[in-house]
Amino acid sequence: MRTVAAIAGVELRRFLRDRSNLFFVFVFPLILVVLIGSQFGAGSSSGRVVISGADSSLRSALVAELEEADVTVSYAAPDAASEQIARGRVDLGLELTDAAAAAFDADEDLTVVVTSSSSGGAITTRQQVDRALNSLQLRLRQEAALVGAGADPAAVDEALETAGSQVVAPSVTVTSESSVSEAFAGASGFTVGASAQVLLFVFLNSLAGSATLIQARKYRVVARTLAAPVAPVQVIGGEALGRWVIAMVQGLYIMVGTALLFGVEWGNLALSTLILAMFAAVAAGAAMVLGSALDNDSAASGLGVGLGLVLAALGGCMLPLELFPDTLATVAHFTPHAWAYEAFAEVTRRGGTLADIAVELGVLLAFAVVLLALGSVLLRRSLARAI
Amino acid sequence: MLEVEAVVRRFGDLTAVDGISFEIAPGETYGLLGPNGAGKTTTISMIAGLLAADSGAVRVLGEQMGPSRVAGKRHIGLVPQDLAIYPELKGRENMNFFGRLQGLGGKELATRVDEVLDLVGLTDRAGDPAKEYSGGMKRRLNIGIGLLHRPTLLILDEPTVGVDPQSRNAILESVEALSGEGMAVLYTTHYMEEAERLCDRIGIVDSGQLQAEGTRDELIRLIGGLDRVRLDGSGDLAAAADALGGLAAVEQVDADRTGLSLAVRDAPTAVAELVTRATAAGVTLADVEITRPNLEQVFLHLTGKALRD
Repeated sequence: MRTVAAIAGVELRRFLRDRSNLFFVFVFPLILVVLIGSQFGAGSSSGRVVISGADSSLRSALVAELEEADVTVSYAAPDAASEQIARGRVDLGLELTDAAAAAFDADEDLTVVVTSSSSGGAITTRQQVDRALNSLQLRLRQEAALVGAGADPAAVDEALETAGSQVVAPSVTVTSESSVSEAFAGASGFTVGASAQVLLFVFLNSLAGSATLIQARKYRVVARTLAAPVAPVQVIGGEALGRWVIAMVQGLYIMVGTALLFGVEWGNLALSTLILAMFAAVAAGAAMVLGSALDNDSAASGLGVGLGLVLAALGGCMLPLELFPDTLATVAHFTPHAWAYEAFAEVTRRGGTLADIAVELGVLLAFAVVLLALGSVLLRRSLARAI
Repeated sequence: MLEVEAVVRRFGDLTAVDGISFEIAPGETYGLLGPNGAGKTTTISMIAGLLAADSGAVRVLGEQMGPSRVAGKRHIGLVPQDLAIYPELKGRENMNFFGRLQGLGGKELATRVDEVLDLVGLTDRAGDPAKEYSGGMKRRLNIGIGLLHRPTLLILDEPTVGVDPQSRNAILESVEALSGEGMAVLYTTHYMEEAERLCDRIGIVDSGQLQAEGTRDELIRLIGGLDRVRLDGSGDLAAAADALGGLAAVEQVDADRTGLSLAVRDAPTAVAELVTRATAAGVTLADVEITRPNLEQVFLHLTGKALRD
């Protein structure tokens, strides 16, 4: 066992000693967690709106409604506003013309020009803007109705305020019928992005790191290792353990880092770690297969990155699995990522138990067994090639 | 200490090693000479237990060698021809890793690593990554790793390839010192002078077979063992040839326009008498040159090709 641990230890040391890994292992994952988390995590929907048009009662009333809905409002001249929209710096632009402001003051119908950007938050922000405009419209109609019924226009505002303060707002409970919104319910902050990035980087960096297996053969270190009182099975065990430890270090780093920096909640820690451990075993097996099948370390590194990205995208690590069309979702389940993603979702968002993720863990175990077995056979053959 | 008995190893239709046999005694340095593709590395791989022999046997201190036989490997220190080190790891880290594979650990490992670093002159650079070492330093690290567990048989596969003269000399001195301490050494090289300097016995390998084996002098005797002496001068060269041809040490004399060429036994001893007789016969000598047969000539004689072909 000491020999196996020594081989695993030296693999981890080499992985951490590689300076090019520092960015891709320790910095890049956290950046992506922020990006994806801000897109899909709950609380990430506060929109950004730029308003062009002179100060007016219409503008004040609309801004008050938008800010109450947590929308960030900025002001710009029409040209500057257009540029911000075109560059996606804001989700929407609202043009409040002088005519619209005058119509608002005269309690008449008015037109507001809304321009959407191509940003991901444009649709959600549009809903918030529509809700604010509807609210203003309702207020106008209430005032018109009171004036039409003979009320003093000067007293209408005060009367509506008084009435509003005396009416107890009805309690409305909304039950979501949307599977997507249900899926993300309970996903606080960056949870969605964090679990996806754990899977993406554990697998991708494991595959890219498979190049060290080839280098060990190239450096003739394998021959020297086998000339020591070491059985080939110990070398294979050490290499497998080394790959698994590397994958665990990567995964645990993202889990701990996102918990500390972004407050990501990982649910039951024992279960989350178990999912990671199982997925790391799958990644270790895949790395052994790649590093044993190829003899060119640059090719293995490049192929590893490519495969890692494709499988991650297919497995729900770039766009959440819940947003996949049915066919693509079915295809996604040929990747281990999708199973691990669902297991993480169950534990982190819905407080799932071991029984709830038993199927996912079982599938991951099957992936791991098959890949580790295949990797061991191929590695044994590659060791013979190295002598 | 090492017994190699009629080992054969085939790769498909190619018989890389074809019935090689030799032995090495404790404290003996044995040189294995042969051109590229002669079967040296395959033979070494079988001795080190990396490859299984198709037939024949290799035993180290009575232990059978083979890929799955661990016991015998404890007695062997292998220094491969290629630099078998992790370049991104520090010198000390490389030694710690391979020391652990040899079963060393804790204080014993730390002490031994310090000793070997000192032995190979890398103590000051032990904390630097191996990739920052010069070629000679890497070679010394490569050799040091093979010595960590105090092997009884050290296998050095062309350890001085690509090494500067100073490091090369340091390596040769180290091998001489280790041999002096009783370690058996199996040494392969392309450099004939290294074999002549270090090896007690030499085996010449070609086409997977051991062509000849013995001490340097025994091998030279295989090709007649005569030294060549050239006497350049003027005068009565024919008379001198007659006078010298009668000496017991002289096997052959040829006179030409500028001097005499002789085939002589033990030229360093006989040369004074040759000069005296030639001068007495009326020759004025301008130059005397002795050429002794070396292993290169033996190799050429046995295999029909130069060692570095």
